[in-house]
Amino acid sequence: MSVTKLAYYPGCPSDATAIDQDMSTKAVFEKLGVELVEVEDWNCCGAAEVEDPELVYALNARNLAIAEKEGLDIVTPCSICYYNLERSNIALKADDKLRAKVKGIDSSLDYNGKINAKHVLDVFVNDIGLEELSSKISKKLNLKVAPYYGCYLGRPPETAFDDPDDPDLMDKLIELMGGEIVPFSQMKSLCCGGPLMMTRSDIAFEMARKILDTAKSAGADCIALACPLCGMMLDGKQADIEKALHVEIDMPVVYITQLLGLALGIDAKELGLDKNAVDTKELLGKVV
Amino acid sequence: MIKTWELDPNFKEEIMNERGGEHLTACFQCSTCTIGCPITEYVPSYNPRKIIQMSLLGMRKEVLSNPDLWVCLICQTCTARCPQDVQISDLLGAIRRIAEKEAEAGNIKIDSSRPIFDKAFQHQLEKYGRLYDIGLAKEYYPKREGSFFKGMMAMMKDYKDFGMRMFKKGKMGPKAMFPEKVKDLAVMKKIFGEMGEK
Repeated sequence: MSVTKLAYYPGCPSDATAIDQDMSTKAVFEKLGVELVEVEDWNCCGAAEVEDPELVYALNARNLAIAEKEGLDIVTPCSICYYNLERSNIALKADDKLRAKVKGIDSSLDYNGKINAKHVLDVFVNDIGLEELSSKISKKLNLKVAPYYGCYLGRPPETAFDDPDDPDLMDKLIELMGGEIVPFSQMKSLCCGGPLMMTRSDIAFEMARKILDTAKSAGADCIALACPLCGMMLDGKQADIEKALHVEIDMPVVYITQLLGLALGIDAKELGLDKNAVDTKELLGKVV
Repeated sequence: MIKTWELDPNFKEEIMNERGGEHLTACFQCSTCTIGCPITEYVPSYNPRKIIQMSLLGMRKEVLSNPDLWVCLICQTCTARCPQDVQISDLLGAIRRIAEKEAEAGNIKIDSSRPIFDKAFQHQLEKYGRLYDIGLAKEYYPKREGSFFKGMMAMMKDYKDFGMRMFKKGKMGPKAMFPEKVKDLAVMKKIFGEMGEK
């Protein structure tokens, strides 16, 4: 295995709504023998709300520069952070003028384009590899799982590391852990509605409901995902969606890092599985 | 009907000079963006192809005041599928930024609370370097509702149950009441000062 140490970019929800994702990411990497060094004094990536590309590049030049000083590639469990880090990385690597302009703002933004930005899923499947993971997996997930990828893993093409229409890295990982993939391909890479949650919750709720409903009718025990905004919509807001749309869903939603942690034999509590909004206890009984 | 005397022949250059808008003229109107867009199911009038065509024609006011600009999910489906690499998601972002500037100058009215939300979000980053959820809500809701009291009522309605749920699960404790700050706040000020959307 080539990966032994990575710079860790937790992202803003990591100490609140996505604390379970943060906990499970750290626990899994520890178990895999990969040291995570948190990016010292990291700042927000700009999320989906900063639309000006150059402002995004400047914000992320600082994060990339801090990791670069450590000589480490940067990894994040959040799909939006990944998109912003990687598109900034690509733009800054390709454009000397842009790099000079960004550096002109402050010397701490002096990034030389020497590192890679990665999403955790990419690291698990493509860098560490299924073979290596398989040797460390000690438990079988007797679970039917609906793998939900959302937006930024398979698109835009510039930063994507999975297929835009039929992504399958999570599928492969879940099958490796003994899980069964339910028919879910039409929902896999559809947006969860998250970006409209605060301004058009009527639309956002309908979009999320469609994904949750499909998983339920496909007979899934849970949805697995890899982004804290999707987690907020599908898990955190699930009870609000049920109330607003007069439906009953009750679909557990877990981060892929939590599932991987279970397969690696890590204690459920250490993976934050008591913190998911929809109860996950029933899932635990199916991990043997 | 298009009133040719009201068209702004410089509009396409204006968009192309905005970061993200550079690829506008590569569009050949195939509609792939619109056919694949997930929001059209909920907002049938939503049509990025048409927004691009109107922009190319110079229908500046109609484009900038179109409320559909603000229901884009930035999900990148259009960008991924566009055969001409128009980078529609970034392009629409560029048009939205021009619209925001025009609205701030009092030249158009935007029928959406999205600009208020995006600005409130950016203010958190400028002030703290990281997202402060409560600060965001405290700026967004009163501005959206037009008064502090109405804003707080709307916030309670949306977040009372959610907040309790998060609190019970240990996701939002007393710590979440206060902003998580970046130590080097001076650099955040500089970034927004130099690159920020004025």
